[in-house]
Amino acid sequence: MDLQKLITKPKKAARPEKTDDALVTVGKSVQRVDGWEKITGAAKYTDDTEFGPGLLYAALVESPHAHAKIISIDTSAAEKARGVVKVVTGRNFKHKFGLYMNDRYIFANDVVRFVGEQVAAVVATDPKAAMRAAELVKVEYQELPAVLDAVKAFEKDSPLVHPDLKSYTHVPWFFPKPGTNIAHWRKIRKGDLAGGFNKADLVLEDTYQVPRYAHCAIETHSAIGLYDASRRLTMWTSSQSPFTQRHVFAETLKAFGLSHKDVRVISTYIGGGFGGKAGVTMEIIAAALAIAVPGRPVKLLWSRAQEFYNTYQRLGCTAKIKMGVTKAGKITALDFKLHWDAGAYVEYGANVVNAAGLSASGPYKVDNLSIDSMCTYTNLPPCGAYRGFGYSEFLFGLESHITRMATELGIDPVKFRKLNAIQEGDTLPYGAHMNPTGIRQAIEKVEKEIRWGVKEKSKDPKKVIGKAQVCFWKSPAMPPNASSSAFLKFNEDGSLNILVSGMDMGQGLLTVMAQIASEVLSVPVTKIRVETPDTDRNPYEWQTVGSHVTWGCGNAVKRAALEARERIFDLVQRVHCLDKSTLYVENECVKCRTKPDFALRFSDFVINGIQADDYTFKGGPIMGSGVFMPEFASAISDPETGQGGHPNVHYTTGSAGIILEIDKETGKMKIKKVALAVDCGKAINPDLVKGQIVGGLLQGFATVLYEDMRYNEKGRLLNPNFSDYKIPTVMDMPDEVVPIIIEVAQPDGPYGARGVGEHTMIPCAPLIANAVADALGVRIKCMPVTKEKVALAVKAAKKN
Amino acid sequence: MPITTEFEYVKPKDMDEALHVFSLYREKARALAGGTDLIVHLKENLARPEVVVDVKALEELAGLDLKGGVLHIGARVTFSELIASAVIKGKFPVLWEASLTVASTGVRNRATLAGNICSAVPSADSAPALALYDAEVLTLSVKGARRIPIADWFTGPKKTALLPEEIVTAVELKLPGKKHGGCYMKLARYDGEDLAQGGIAALAFPDNTYRVAFCALGPKPSRCPAVEAVLNGAKLGEKLLVKAGEALLAEISPISDIRSSKEYRLHMAQVMLGRCLETAVARLFGKGPKYGNGNIC
Repeated sequence: MDLQKLITKPKKAARPEKTDDALVTVGKSVQRVDGWEKITGAAKYTDDTEFGPGLLYAALVESPHAHAKIISIDTSAAEKARGVVKVVTGRNFKHKFGLYMNDRYIFANDVVRFVGEQVAAVVATDPKAAMRAAELVKVEYQELPAVLDAVKAFEKDSPLVHPDLKSYTHVPWFFPKPGTNIAHWRKIRKGDLAGGFNKADLVLEDTYQVPRYAHCAIETHSAIGLYDASRRLTMWTSSQSPFTQRHVFAETLKAFGLSHKDVRVISTYIGGGFGGKAGVTMEIIAAALAIAVPGRPVKLLWSRAQEFYNTYQRLGCTAKIKMGVTKAGKITALDFKLHWDAGAYVEYGANVVNAAGLSASGPYKVDNLSIDSMCTYTNLPPCGAYRGFGYSEFLFGLESHITRMATELGIDPVKFRKLNAIQEGDTLPYGAHMNPTGIRQAIEKVEKEIRWGVKEKSKDPKKVIGKAQVCFWKSPAMPPNASSSAFLKFNEDGSLNILVSGMDMGQGLLTVMAQIASEVLSVPVTKIRVETPDTDRNPYEWQTVGSHVTWGCGNAVKRAALEARERIFDLVQRVHCLDKSTLYVENECVKCRTKPDFALRFSDFVINGIQADDYTFKGGPIMGSGVFMPEFASAISDPETGQGGHPNVHYTTGSAGIILEIDKETGKMKIKKVALAVDCGKAINPDLVKGQIVGGLLQGFATVLYEDMRYNEKGRLLNPNFSDYKIPTVMDMPDEVVPIIIEVAQPDGPYGARGVGEHTMIPCAPLIANAVADALGVRIKCMPVTKEKVALAVKAAKKN
Repeated sequence: MPITTEFEYVKPKDMDEALHVFSLYREKARALAGGTDLIVHLKENLARPEVVVDVKALEELAGLDLKGGVLHIGARVTFSELIASAVIKGKFPVLWEASLTVASTGVRNRATLAGNICSAVPSADSAPALALYDAEVLTLSVKGARRIPIADWFTGPKKTALLPEEIVTAVELKLPGKKHGGCYMKLARYDGEDLAQGGIAALAFPDNTYRVAFCALGPKPSRCPAVEAVLNGAKLGEKLLVKAGEALLAEISPISDIRSSKEYRLHMAQVMLGRCLETAVARLFGKGPKYGNGNIC
């Protein structure tokens, strides 16, 4: 038995876990705890926070060049402008920062590396004054050759984006190549690749392209900083990662005498994250500006254009795949080279590359495997987390390739996937073993739902119908010691306040946390409040990313609730002399198995204690705390093979299928039906899981059908707006969406739950590409698969 | 996002006052009605007028009525008002269908038809319909009134025949006088709101005559006389549509841009022409999809 299994093996507990049938709240689609607040408009977002008339506003001076040396900055005219309080440049801030690699400055120091990079900021009494003064800052540049393509950046004579890469500090699981543009090269070498190709009856090699994408959260980034007279820095941010931000602020601004205890991050509700509000982007600027104008709050609010070009974007990817398969449909070898365009700074994006590199085999058993996942610097905006964290990108090529190979061999593509699908205990690309998984059930349920194998004809003679089914998997990409914690406090009336620092960004985390505590303590969800984080009050959470919080934060909340319950039992045992092992909670009361009439209401004692026979009181406020860290994880492995560590905590798998109607002349595509089955271990709130499935699919289909970031030859983003970067509307919903929940329990998850948030969007791109090929016989290998590409490919195919 | 460019804002209470401001400031004055283009351009510093003249209080710009076969649409009339009008839906269905494809409900609640043709982008959704109904643009200045046929109105991308001291007061359309079916086919990237990547509008009459116009397939929206010449007098059929499609290629000159390639626009212009004419004819005989349905390609 391997280490993870030993650790996650259910311990023999004094109280057996409830069976699924006995669960009261978990597994039920209870109403969201934040529902009323959000529907009535009571919910506060960062920009809603009031600071009074003393609030200052910041505007940025941004680089017009993709790569240039800063010769001089003249701020004198701006400083004299009406309403200006301060002009700040890189001169004032010399420390580099970064989440996984220290490669960024708060303001460009000597060199700008992408169009739109912040060079200076003006702080003024109103936003207009700040913007007008920013136009008065004169910056002299000397243009440098820029590199805008990851494959070109990999070439020997390419301009270097970071000539000093050698001196940069980073996490121990990154392997930069100084003197090149490679910031990190994740290698996986497993089995005998050459031998695997020798055994293959068919070897196919091809390249697939995925452009960059933007998250497009409806709420743009916003941050307010205040460095007050007590020398503490308070930041109000729209963030998925308040504690990570606190850490980065404290580390980066150490020179100003700040330590972690002095930095407080308050995160309100956020209007969409999708990974874009993970880590630290523009918030560091607001923090620095607060230091620059002590005593007054400073607000930095991103415009929609800035939201596009100066937050993280999703990485672009050029994927070169060579795969060997036997006539029987067994994958014998996979050689996968991923060239990632990670942009000018990769402090977060390099971990996307790492995560994809560890898992690019997809949810298949591949014994002979080579993966090269290369994080490449380019002079385009920095990339980072985006729902799917690299998996959507490699899956487009991989799942396109698998369908092509199966079809060429005359094997049913779904049968092919069943044959190669990973199973519990199989060896993963990095050598550890696969967790329990319901991928086979997922494939079978989807197959049935889309009537796989049954050819369908459109009623409209201009249209054809294609079908496709693919598989997906994803693991949370997190440092091995990423942890979660929770506080839980009873109130006089038996209600609960739970403090966590996981963020609710629409996915329903707060509701799920309430459900878990409710299940343990028998307090109804309506009597539980779970608040958004304030790092002074709420306990630590690493970040709300990677679809890990239901699992990680959920484990912490469960432990906190169990601890509170233990305290209750201890107290009742002490005062009422009832054996602890006979006590249980039900309907907000403590009850006793051996004494049926005994029922002590929580509201009678959880704050004020229980009165003993001598009229004294015993007990006091009931509280609980819980901590969770995946103690079996390790990121350290052989850099040349990737073997030896246990970087990923678990994989969530699933399958999705579509019925796609395509207009042969116009290329217009309509999704008649999509079914997605995901093994989330245990759906703590099935409606919320279904919401993830519907939302994820809509977001995923948009990236394949029309979204696309376009840059000109000078590295300028051409469509930083919704006129030309299209995100889906309600009109663009598939005709029918069938969400399917599979529940093969995760042994170390709360009630068996594992992550589900990101997974639902990642199968979309190959679904469309494969359905187009099925219907029309044309293969689009470059995302997005727009109607224009489809129509022109059909036209070209006719000519030939 | 705040507007940082500085300008004077005036809201004239009558037409004389408004015209006086325009005669004084000429191209440095910009009229504000719906503001759905102007305000965006001000925010992005693409427009830097000295005076913004709010014309919303001018009663002369109101009014939407059909008299003696002429439809009068005041410059203040919004797309939502057009969509809500039974006259537009019943008598000028192609304008109604085109109005429904303009942006989104929120934008249509403010955006005016006059503003759409004053912005004069090649993709103006209302322009092909105006061309089909032989529209005239009514202008006014201190020097007097003018009537400009829609064919002469657009002079290039974002350029019109409007003189610096003039404002548009109304657009007038002529009722075709005989029964007709019509259609506006629009090429968009998805089903949500989008700017036309190409648009074809057509009217079909019982005597086998046709009117055809386009937008977003050349520097300015226009009627297609050569296509109409090929079609007139004949019943639609595959061969005729091929010939009409060939004639269309000589009348359009699409470009490649971020929204679409020239190649796809050329391909889709022909596809849309065929579908648009077929739909118009079907509707003439009470068949085909209802107006407002199935016209986004």
